Amino acid sequence: MGCGSLEASDFKSDLKPIWCPGCGDFGVLQALYRALAAVGRPPHEIAFISGIGCSSRIPGYTTAYGFNTVHGRALPIAQGVKLANPDLLVVVAGGDGDGFSIGGGHVAHAVRRNLDLTYLVMDNQVYGLTKGQLSPTSLKGLETVTSPLGSLEDPINPLLYVLAYGAGFVAQATPADMPGMAALIEEAIRYPGFSFVNIQSPCVTFGEEEQQLRAHKAKLKPLAKLHHDPSNPLAALDLARAYGRELYTGVFYRNPAPPQPYDALVRLRQAEQSKLATPRAQLLDTWLADGRGKR
Amino acid sequence: MRDDLILGMAGAGGDGVVSAGESLLKAATTLGYHAMMTKSFGSQIRGGESSCRLRLSTRKVLNPGGALDVLVALNWEDFLRFGAELPLSADTVVVYDEKAGPARTPVAARGLVLVPVPISALAKQAAGSEKAKTAVVLGLLSGWLDLPAPAVLKGLKQRFASKGEAVLTATEKAFTAGLAHAAANGWAAPKALEKPAADAGPKLLCDGNDMCAAGALFAGVKFFGGYPITPSTEVMQILSRELWKYGGAVLQAEDEIAGVGAAVGASFAGKKAMTATSGPGLDLKAELLGLATIAELPLVVVDVQRGGPSTGLPTKAEQSNLFAAAFSGHGDVLRPVLAPTGVADTFRLTVEAFNIAEQYQTPVLLLSDQEIAQRKKAIDVIDTSTLEVAERRVPTMAELAEKPYARFALTESGVSPISHPGLEGGTYLAAGIEHDEKGAPTSGGAMHAKMNRKRFAKLEPLAARADLFELTGNPAAPLGIVAWGSTAGVAREACRAAAARGLDVKLLVPYLLHPVADDVYASFFASLTAGLVVELSHQGQLYRLLRMFTDVPSSVRSLCRSGANPFSPAELLTRLVELKGVR
Amino acid sequence: MTHADSAPGIDFEALTLKDALDLAVLIEEEARDRYEELAAQLLLHHNRDAARFFTRMVRVEELHRAALVEKREKLFGRQKPAVGRELLFEVEAPEYDAVRADMTERQALSTALQSERKAYRFFSSALEHVQHRDVKTLFTELCAEELEHIRLVQGELARLPEPGPLEATDVSDDPAPQ
Repeated sequence: MGCGSLEASDFKSDLKPIWCPGCGDFGVLQALYRALAAVGRPPHEIAFISGIGCSSRIPGYTTAYGFNTVHGRALPIAQGVKLANPDLLVVVAGGDGDGFSIGGGHVAHAVRRNLDLTYLVMDNQVYGLTKGQLSPTSLKGLETVTSPLGSLEDPINPLLYVLAYGAGFVAQATPADMPGMAALIEEAIRYPGFSFVNIQSPCVTFGEEEQQLRAHKAKLKPLAKLHHDPSNPLAALDLARAYGRELYTGVFYRNPAPPQPYDALVRLRQAEQSKLATPRAQLLDTWLADGRGKR
Repeated sequence: MRDDLILGMAGAGGDGVVSAGESLLKAATTLGYHAMMTKSFGSQIRGGESSCRLRLSTRKVLNPGGALDVLVALNWEDFLRFGAELPLSADTVVVYDEKAGPARTPVAARGLVLVPVPISALAKQAAGSEKAKTAVVLGLLSGWLDLPAPAVLKGLKQRFASKGEAVLTATEKAFTAGLAHAAANGWAAPKALEKPAADAGPKLLCDGNDMCAAGALFAGVKFFGGYPITPSTEVMQILSRELWKYGGAVLQAEDEIAGVGAAVGASFAGKKAMTATSGPGLDLKAELLGLATIAELPLVVVDVQRGGPSTGLPTKAEQSNLFAAAFSGHGDVLRPVLAPTGVADTFRLTVEAFNIAEQYQTPVLLLSDQEIAQRKKAIDVIDTSTLEVAERRVPTMAELAEKPYARFALTESGVSPISHPGLEGGTYLAAGIEHDEKGAPTSGGAMHAKMNRKRFAKLEPLAARADLFELTGNPAAPLGIVAWGSTAGVAREACRAAAARGLDVKLLVPYLLHPVADDVYASFFASLTAGLVVELSHQGQLYRLLRMFTDVPSSVRSLCRSGANPFSPAELLTRLVELKGVR
Repeated sequence: MTHADSAPGIDFEALTLKDALDLAVLIEEEARDRYEELAAQLLLHHNRDAARFFTRMVRVEELHRAALVEKREKLFGRQKPAVGRELLFEVEAPEYDAVRADMTERQALSTALQSERKAYRFFSSALEHVQHRDVKTLFTELCAEELEHIRLVQGELARLPEPGPLEATDVSDDPAPQ
């Protein structure tokens, strides 16, 4: 039980979170500090990218390089960061609306490209920043200001989607289990490839009473205790179908033989192609009409 | 003998007139001619009508020119669909395939020199297939224009090199048949070309998109994120092959937003980054451009304009994206917009776009258009030895050690040193939300006003960049034209012709469109009794932009019209003569 | 929450006195830091009463911590600790979920009360597993201390004036959209 050279407090910035007292995101932040300390990369080697929403404020509360971008586009921006500098540890965070509504189209592509990124979604089933509208993960029938008569649509199932897209690491956590969440975030970061943690992080202001942490504590079922084998993708899919009914926590799926992530392949390609580089002064020779510059 | 010739060819896409044009362009270039080729297509992916126009000259070619000297029509329907893009004059020699039947109105009615040739029959007879039509055409042109047959044949054979011996032999036979037909049937009005100067020097054969990609590589681009969109896609295609060699990466994103988003991310990570698109893509990227502005991230966005709005005219040039380039997106934004005027200067302007982006930590819009981007041209080798490449100002280790890093420090110039992930001591929060000097989010009006002032002030030096404007002619001339983008080349030729006729005229070509350089225009307009702002858009967007930011005298008018109706030098010359009359 | 929930990484059977003391110090430190965070959260939301109470708790936890540090240094000097904060999860620190922007001082006291109870449960359940005699003694003392704290907070709660007819939730503005 040694302490690494970095402690959780090394990742805590001077900015004070503006989240409502009681918000689940405070726990996520605390767990993230711990996970980052455990992973041991110094803050300046970490790029923390988020979209827009309450939870997307999170990068500013860390001492890492943060980029609080625009609504729904954290994943593409994070991929640009990672491709530009694969040495960086890149963490992406946002809410359920950011990731599965306005930015929903990007998730499939982030998964299929399989860059070594960790995507943390703080899923609270509601739009908090704009005051309590229906979100893509709100349960059918939920009454909100934009669904005063109850919503008519089914929620998206983030776990099932991301599993079906083919992600190599899919987990679910809740701040009701802090040690479990910190360990999951750490494991996700260490996974070599795209990793996804859906965090059931309740909204204390607009969320439903039965979705608060107290309820989570009574409801949560660690997958490890159910003897789920995280290398079994079909079992993972089956369990993920219970999203919205059961609160399973832990790793749904972890690819036992992770392929080389995209950014590693990019490096290989750059190394191989660098032999063909032309000095800057001769760049234009490729277009010489007599064909001399053609390679 | 002529020193300048404009040739148009039209046919079905399956005929291969554009490929034939490329062979001819290549041959002409290796022979030492100055040459330019533009192409135009119908909206079908394969088999629709296609056309090309080539301009060959012993002098520098400034634009695709106006009316054709020679037209080759493989059938009438396809030719007629191009309308104003392939204009005829009373002197045009019209070569057509006999198989297409007698010349149709309006060609027949004009009393032009009509030269029917059994092109299909000759191809069938010589090569055993009508498919060899364009080889016959090249043989004909080689003979009639007095372009040495070995050079043209070499260009043609290069095209078919990979197709095997049988195809090569058949093609050569068809070419020879065309050559023999030309020898046996001379023209009443010869169009043979003068020989080019012997010391023409080596040439580059390329289009605007080639030079955009090359310029980006020269400037040191390390990341390209984009989504295929006509007519800009070639930029991504070239970089997809080249960028890896220089330690960079290309991401073909899932959509336009992700493309620019990834580029913004790469810039945040400290690398030179770009995207390329056309109108519809620019619309989608607007929000991310705002993010790059407020987060003060360098970014080059190439917009190869096509007709709009919406899908508009995907394969035709128009200069109607200036408003979008300068203004799309909400908030108070001063976004630099640069516009090249041709293939060669696309290289320099792309480097310049990166320099401005990096130096001032801002997105820069490079407004090309379909005609420049896809116009193949033989250009003189570009001297890159004098071009400077700017880098962003990164805080030094000493600066970072000295005091806590303030990413958005309010400096005198408005530019504050920019750190990037990986740099110890330089961590900060970049954000789309308004922030204070250290990057902490704020909703305070006072700080917002300071930051807006900073973001505008840092770009003030741009308007004083005289090298971003080209002024030709007598500075005190009473007549003047302002022209930008692909229209500038037409204006240059018209002004030259006007001067040759004794008109006292000057021309202003802005490469920097936005911010509007008040002083440059004020001094240009001062001597004018009559002037025109010439551009290819229904509204005349530059004219309106100038009206917004500078005093435009009432003697200066807008000459504008919708895209796919290019101006010709002769037409502008006529307008200049009229202007003189107005005085 | 038992010792197994909030310190899953610690082997209590092997725990030495030095480690146990360090652990106790860290538990007070964690609680102190959390109260400080909660006070800041509530101050940001202009709940001065609850913030003031939590700020008081910061001082209380710091006193406990300092006393434990003194004891530890007397016995073990400045020897490097073998246990770290990463092994603890909200032993005596209130959970984030325990506070609300509009909580009353009474609710703030209840939060503290629950946290002291939590700490008592931690040490008492751990007691069943520790082997070293010295550690048993220490944890027994700590249990007694937590019980004392519980009584103190309960006493304070009893002294608080009865809540009036209006709660903060009755009068507060709607949340502001961002």
